[in-house]
This record gives sequence, structure tokens and C-alpha cells, in this order.
Amino acid sequence: MNRIKLLFFATIRERAGTKTLEMDIPKDMTIQGLKDRLAGDYPKLKESMSSVLITVNREYAFDDAVVPPNAEIGMFPPVSGG
Amino acid sequence: MRPSNFPTICSITEDETDLNELLARITLASTGAAAIFTGMVRGVTTQGDAHETEYLEYEAYIPMAEAKMKQVADEIRAKWTSIEGIAIVQRIGRLYPKTPTVLIACTAAHRGTGVFEAARYGIDRLKEIVPIWKKEVSPDGQFWVEGDYIPKPGE
Repeated sequence: MNRIKLLFFATIRERAGTKTLEMDIPKDMTIQGLKDRLAGDYPKLKESMSSVLITVNREYAFDDAVVPPNAEIGMFPPVSGG
Repeated sequence: MRPSNFPTICSITEDETDLNELLARITLASTGAAAIFTGMVRGVTTQGDAHETEYLEYEAYIPMAEAKMKQVADEIRAKWTSIEGIAIVQRIGRLYPKTPTVLIACTAAHRGTGVFEAARYGIDRLKEIVPIWKKEVSPDGQFWVEGDYIPKPGE
């Protein structure tokens, strides 16, 4: 198993009800697999998972990528700075 | 001075931004022009969905945001080799109408070398890839402002 740390921001943070979460995931889990797992475990996040942006170690990451060990995963909506 | 020594300032801050101080830090002996873009909280919106804003609440994924600002600065330098100094600063927290929220400043030896375009590019890219969000609070309620840009691999 891989230990990972999730960081939630903006709408995702509010729906999750927390800023951070630590999880153990299978070594071969992809970003898509992680999204499916979160949608199952946290029903309030289910709706957000189709449009959420994901980062792995502070770089944008995409559905087919495998989550590396000890990854810092960011989850958030499209950005709106300025 | 070699390009690698040109000053680049990228920061997320809760403090008031001091434009003069930032400008001084990106002004070199060879600098003769600066283009500065700053955005502020608009209290009254008349275009499109007309409404009033009480305040905006900003948050950021700070270490990633500062790294992506640096990436935007690198992109600017790759596109406009004339650029000397770059400052990209976003203020976060609760910000009220008329308060400056973001500042992008680029300096160069002369004004006709892409310095205006570089600052424009900087704010446009910040709004695409730098992880910052704002919640709008108005007399009618509150909502998160969401962008519409989906970053591509390598961004």
C-alpha cells in the first residue's frame, strides 16, 4: 500500500469538510482509481469528481497516471485567481 | 547583466502589496520601461450579470502557486527575451472593493520590446494555471468563482 496525503481547496474543501486527508491506496492505483474511490467513500465529493483538477507533487496530473508513493495530491476546481 | 541574474519575484501574500517597493526591486541600471498590471476588487459590476460585491475571499495552494508563478515568469522570458525584471504577486484573504488583489510587473530597457504584452500574458496565464480561488460575497449570498481552463500535460 502507498500512503498519500490529499489537500482540498475551494469548493472541494468545503464539500469534503476538511482541508487534508491521509489515505492508504494500492500501489498501482491511478488518478482515475483514486477519484472513483473518493466518490465512493465521500458521497458529497461524487459530483465534483468529474470536473476536479488533480495535482501530484504540485504538478497537474491526469487520469491514467499511477499515484506515486508518498504523493501530495491536490484536488480543486478550475482556478480563479487575479 | 546575464539573463539568469535578472530579478524574478513570485509571491502569495496576506499583506498589502507595496507597488513602489516591488518596482524598485525589478528596476536595474539598464531598465527604462515598466508595464504594470494590477487588478482590484470591483464593488459594482455592470457588465453581464450585474451585481454588487461586499468582499472577495481568496485562498491559494501556496507552494504550488508560487512554483506556477515562477513557471509563468519563465514562459515570459522565453517569449520576450528583452524582459529584465518580473514581479508576480497575488494577495489572499478577505479583500474589499477598491483593494488591489494581484500585480504583474515586467521591466525592460525600452517600451517597444514587448513589455506590455509580457505583462498581459502574465495575468492571462496566472488566471489559467496558478492555483488560486476566490469566493464572492454579495448582499444576495456567496458563491465560488470558478475558472474554465483545464491545464494540459506539462503545464
